[in-house]
Amino acid sequence: MRKFGMIAILFLLLFMTACSSGASSSDEYPSKNLEIVAPASPGGGWDLTARSVENVLSGQSLVEENINVVNKPGGGGEVGWKYLESKDSHSLAINSSLVLTNNLLGQSEMTYEGFTPIATLATEWQSLAVPPDSEYESSKELLEAIKEDPASIKIGVGPGLGNDDHLSLVQAASEFGIDPSQLNFLVYEGGGDVVTALLGGHVDAVTTSLSEVKDQYLADKLNILAVSSDKPVEGIEDVPTWTDQGIDLVFPHWRGIMGPPDMTEEEIAYWDEKLSEMVETEEWQEVLENNDWEGFYKNSEETKAFMDEQHNLYKTLIEDSGLIK
Amino acid sequence: MDGSSFMEGLFISLEPMNILWIIIGGFLGTIVGMLPGLGPATAVAVLIPVTFGMEPVSAIILMAAIYYGAMYGGSRSSILINTPGDGSAIAATFDGYPMAKKGQAGEALAISAVASFIGGLIAVVGFIFLAEPLANFALEFGPAEYFLLMLLTLSAIVALSIGKMVKGFLAMMLGLTLSTVGIDTQTGVYRFTMDIPHLSEGIDFLIVIIGVYAIGEVLYNLLTIDQEKKEKKKVGKVWFTKEQWKRSKWPILRSGPIGFLIGVLPGAGGSIASMISYTTEKQISKKPEEFGEGAPEGLAAPESANNAASVGAMIPLLTMGIPGSGTTAVMLGALIMLGLRPGPLLFEQQPETAWALVNSMFIGNIALIIINILLVGLLVKILDTPAKVLYPIIVLLAFIGTYTLSYSTIDFFLLLIFGFFGLFLKVMDFPLAPLVLALIVGGEMEQNFRKALLSSDGSLDIFFSSGVSIVLFALTVASLLYPLIFKFFKRRNQAKKTDRISKSS
Repeated sequence: MRKFGMIAILFLLLFMTACSSGASSSDEYPSKNLEIVAPASPGGGWDLTARSVENVLSGQSLVEENINVVNKPGGGGEVGWKYLESKDSHSLAINSSLVLTNNLLGQSEMTYEGFTPIATLATEWQSLAVPPDSEYESSKELLEAIKEDPASIKIGVGPGLGNDDHLSLVQAASEFGIDPSQLNFLVYEGGGDVVTALLGGHVDAVTTSLSEVKDQYLADKLNILAVSSDKPVEGIEDVPTWTDQGIDLVFPHWRGIMGPPDMTEEEIAYWDEKLSEMVETEEWQEVLENNDWEGFYKNSEETKAFMDEQHNLYKTLIEDSGLIK
Repeated sequence: MDGSSFMEGLFISLEPMNILWIIIGGFLGTIVGMLPGLGPATAVAVLIPVTFGMEPVSAIILMAAIYYGAMYGGSRSSILINTPGDGSAIAATFDGYPMAKKGQAGEALAISAVASFIGGLIAVVGFIFLAEPLANFALEFGPAEYFLLMLLTLSAIVALSIGKMVKGFLAMMLGLTLSTVGIDTQTGVYRFTMDIPHLSEGIDFLIVIIGVYAIGEVLYNLLTIDQEKKEKKKVGKVWFTKEQWKRSKWPILRSGPIGFLIGVLPGAGGSIASMISYTTEKQISKKPEEFGEGAPEGLAAPESANNAASVGAMIPLLTMGIPGSGTTAVMLGALIMLGLRPGPLLFEQQPETAWALVNSMFIGNIALIIINILLVGLLVKILDTPAKVLYPIIVLLAFIGTYTLSYSTIDFFLLLIFGFFGLFLKVMDFPLAPLVLALIVGGEMEQNFRKALLSSDGSLDIFFSSGVSIVLFALTVASLLYPLIFKFFKRRNQAKKTDRISKSS
């Protein structure tokens, strides 16, 4: 029985050290341990991004101070970002387009402007996939069929409407002259479930991130009709982009990092320097390759402009999608 | 199956370092499985930073060992303190705890370890020969089939509540109601979240399990402590009797394949597998009235099933890159970080890695049965621990476990609410399992029902459109009508007997 007690105490100590944070301040930044907030549970995409950043920054001695990854899951990032709001400039958080869409969808009071943009780090691309024996061999054929009778084509998406998987197809449909609110979406729990549904023939097409379907495509288990990148993707050069097929659409599914409100110029400059060095390292290149991500680095200033532009795009897409009235 | 890579995989898994990882993983899994709230998903996630420096193949072997190790551990606390460590260990409370109360704790621990072992072995053999066809079989499951599978699981509530049917159904309704909290996936509408962002992802069933079982049990015992104090608990032997083995043998062999098949289905998992195997055994048993009173087969069956399910869950992960459970989802993320991509290309490009994992599960199950049998003698001492020491520790573990679910103190309030709620249910003599079971499957069941109807344009025909769905429907009906049929035959038999008696006289 004593063993149980020991384990319990050990765990408790572990949590206490993980939660504690010193509060000293001096002119030099950073003046204490740094913290990267993953607004998700361990093992998810945001968590792995946070841990990769931490791993490369510490492993390459780019940053001397200790970096802790803190998980604050809940509310599609809401819980973690609320937490970030209350912290000082030694905390940063991973973000993605949800930081824009949560507010646009009316699910959050917070806006992206309430935070300090630090960097855009990497991107994935979106894909539109069909079963191998599908009668649709190009995205045009599929979109034509949808135009004819939107209800007849079941499209799998996950884990919720309003995400990039959903909105990238909304944009493609609008470009093609289809009213996106008429699209017949079946919402699954996650990217994996969407692919299972497609392989089992329970939906006619899926819109999901490329990494979910790339291996299945290489194994001839499904066919990818279009990717949302600006140029063909390495390894699957034969898959056409949307632009190749005459549809004006480049849709990144980006991940970035941001800080609490009102960081000083020196603090921002510190991260511009460190992160621009980080994305050049071989270790970071390996992270990108393992995850099927593509380098998408933008410094703080570029990220600010990028976010403004993305905000306007998402606003239009969400209005078009019929999700808000 | 490709013989040379199978052998190569076997040699990789037999490397001393990998055997060490198997043992460490199995032991860790047993421990976290035992502790309420700390599950394999948390353990694997906490280990992610550790795996950064490891060979990918060692990492996957370690993580898998934690996963099925937790299936062994989960039932330990179910049996000893009536507190399941995870959803898949709920069924172990039905007969495991009564056995411990009857003074057969040692026997119960031993038989559940052996059941897990045999279930695990059956599943590994199944994996070796059937991985590919089963992966394709799993694809047949569309929304309609998943809905019917979950309906079949809920029909278990009938079997569980014989004698207190109304209370069982009330508890189930409550569970289903709780499962509607959170964002509705089909429409994005927030349901019953009361503007608390924390609730937007729903109420984690693990909090409810910890609350109603662990906290509820402690509170209940505080109320009744004076009556029980005097009686010295017997722990029994540390091995089971021949009679117990004879009763458990066939249920174990039947439940292994059932659990394995259900485990292969993404999203179904150990909770459903153990529940379905429990009710199956209860319904085909000649002595169903002994179930719930400490029947060894009522413990052995779900234990065999849930361990087999954890092996089955590796099939969609390895052959399709699709995680079938919370733990395999975390594993997938970690493996991608290491540059190992489970999926349709894994068996083509790195067959030795895949087969190393399969072989490691063989070794792992052997290691685990040894670990768990050795632990029996130690664990039964928990029953001798005075309440004033044991209960504070259970409460402490419950809070820690809850905290690790989402690193938030808001969950503590939920935990306490469900703790008092569990106490209330116990005092009123409501069964707890229907509540938790309904909460576990409720959300998915609703979403699948709606997805099925969306894809069929509202026609109910979709629920009878495939062979799988018709079979599932028939099983559900049989399961629901079973108590009536049982009564009918009993009455007829009695009538015949009295008939014969009256004739002969």
